[in-house]
Amino acid sequence: MRRFFALIFVIFIISDIHVHAQQIHIDIEASGFRKMKVAMPTYAGPGDMAGSVWAMCARDLQLSGIFDLISPQSYVNPGPLGEVQQGSLKDFSLIGSDYVIAATVSKQDTTGIFKVQMVDVSTGQVIESATYTSGEQTMYMAVHAFMDHVLRNKFGLDPIFSSKIACIKKDKTAKQLHVIWCDGTGGNTIRGGGSLVLSPAWSRDGKKIAFVSYWKNNPDLYLLDLATNNVKQLSAQKGINTSPAFDASGGRIGLTLSIDGSPKIYIMNLDGSGRTKLTTGWATDTSPSFSINGKSMAYCSSRSGNPQIFIMDLATKNVQRLTYEGKYNSEPTFSPRGDLVAFSYRAKNEKFYIATIKPDGSNFRVLPGSGLGDESPSFSPDGRLIAFAGGDGNIHITDLMGTMSVPVTSGGGFSEPAWSPLMK
Amino acid sequence: MKRIIRIAYTIIILCAILFVMGCAKKTLEPVTPEVSKPHPPGQTGMPAEQPGMKMDTSEASQGAGAASGKSTIEKARTAFEKTDIYFEFDSFELTPEARKALADKAAFLNSHPKIKTRIEGHCDERGTAAYNLALGERRAKAAQDYLVFLGIGSERVSTVSYGEEKPVDPGHNETAWAKNRRAHFDILGE
Repeated sequence: MRRFFALIFVIFIISDIHVHAQQIHIDIEASGFRKMKVAMPTYAGPGDMAGSVWAMCARDLQLSGIFDLISPQSYVNPGPLGEVQQGSLKDFSLIGSDYVIAATVSKQDTTGIFKVQMVDVSTGQVIESATYTSGEQTMYMAVHAFMDHVLRNKFGLDPIFSSKIACIKKDKTAKQLHVIWCDGTGGNTIRGGGSLVLSPAWSRDGKKIAFVSYWKNNPDLYLLDLATNNVKQLSAQKGINTSPAFDASGGRIGLTLSIDGSPKIYIMNLDGSGRTKLTTGWATDTSPSFSINGKSMAYCSSRSGNPQIFIMDLATKNVQRLTYEGKYNSEPTFSPRGDLVAFSYRAKNEKFYIATIKPDGSNFRVLPGSGLGDESPSFSPDGRLIAFAGGDGNIHITDLMGTMSVPVTSGGGFSEPAWSPLMK
Repeated sequence: MKRIIRIAYTIIILCAILFVMGCAKKTLEPVTPEVSKPHPPGQTGMPAEQPGMKMDTSEASQGAGAASGKSTIEKARTAFEKTDIYFEFDSFELTPEARKALADKAAFLNSHPKIKTRIEGHCDERGTAAYNLALGERRAKAAQDYLVFLGIGSERVSTVSYGEEKPVDPGHNETAWAKNRRAHFDILGE
């Protein structure tokens, strides 16, 4: 008899654990997918600090691409709410929210403390309840940790808030290499030199950035090691050494050289050896992008008269034209998932937009973006989002359906975003 | 039948008139270009003003045999560096005006054998950064190839592309863009 009850008890415990560990699976590209509504009243804690941490979390909810933050103006009680009361859930249910987030922000010496809860409104289930700490000046790290935990553990998505974006920042007449977390926090200029720095490209392991610089009064290619802060010259041929892009393995780099007359795409080892010419002919070829499976390279070529996107099969060197809409398509980039190519598309109204297309040429889609002229797309490491340079001079992030265009920099002067891999 | 014949005759006569007029035009044309630009040996060539070209217009009227020594050379150098050549959108083709300007630059370089030049290729802000770096390179190279074709040693002519990075006019209109689509010539060394 006892054994029987023990068995029942064990079965009960196991199923209970299973329920709490259950992930919510989201097919974000299913037609009819709607973003989950989140209510987030103001946080408890000292005014300025609570307010700025709230704003960071609000931005990250929006950037996640799966949440919609309901405006606090609609809440019965806009806060501050330090902790979710089960009894107040019906207020949030009334305004149609799926989740509510409450948090208390506090400070101990120079450490900031972010104590946060996320509750499922309809079931009352606590999705997440944890305390994150960070330096008082870097509270965005605590917010990133919370958001990444929710994305990864609750929704099975990649923790993108631990990824960065390298970009170019204009400073009077010079241009510099600038790095931000993907939500725009923690910005740092990491290479200048008073001349022009252009076209950053992350290595596959996220440890190095290749870029173009005019330090020697010519567009030459360099490689920055982020750990040692050392820069080494990759290519300084006569003419242009531009548009760096790492291949699928990360051990070789594609670039544009004009040593043979017209700009062509080459690939070489990171020490400059083993240089191979990939494209041939009289046209201008530039902007290589390699698919993760190692099989294809997308690039921009003027071989059909004006700039269009082409895809080369790296094994056979066979080239197929990808874009037929519009007369100026450039800056192609492969999604890390391999199923999409994003590029800069010039529409009939002569404005530039970010567009996407499948590698077989189907599903051409123009994204509304900032509406001010968008260029230089770069996919997030999970392929769900695209960063681009908006016509307002800021880096924006959009999703694959084009439902949003969120600026992650301010003040203008930013261009050429390159989204890093997930940082370990 | 008569009507058709009349119509045919009218057409033939009209064609004949047009043919004669065409021929007359052809014989008149060659006269003008010959007198526009004298290039006696030893004198640096001044480009006649053409639409779309920036230049130091005060020098245009300097006649043959102006032997002001150093200041002539200085003015020639200034003109060499100040005169850019221009391109159509998304093109690196040399226009007739560009070729004329390059011929003058070749003449200057021929008279000063120790001078080297570096040609910068530029684009307007439209289009994308990477493609414009490549296009700027093609513009500079087109100018370089033409100077070499005119007899300037290739070791005297180098190129650099600045893409859309260094406009002379920051405006966002066709006037500004036309000024930015250019190749610029710097004198290096002596």
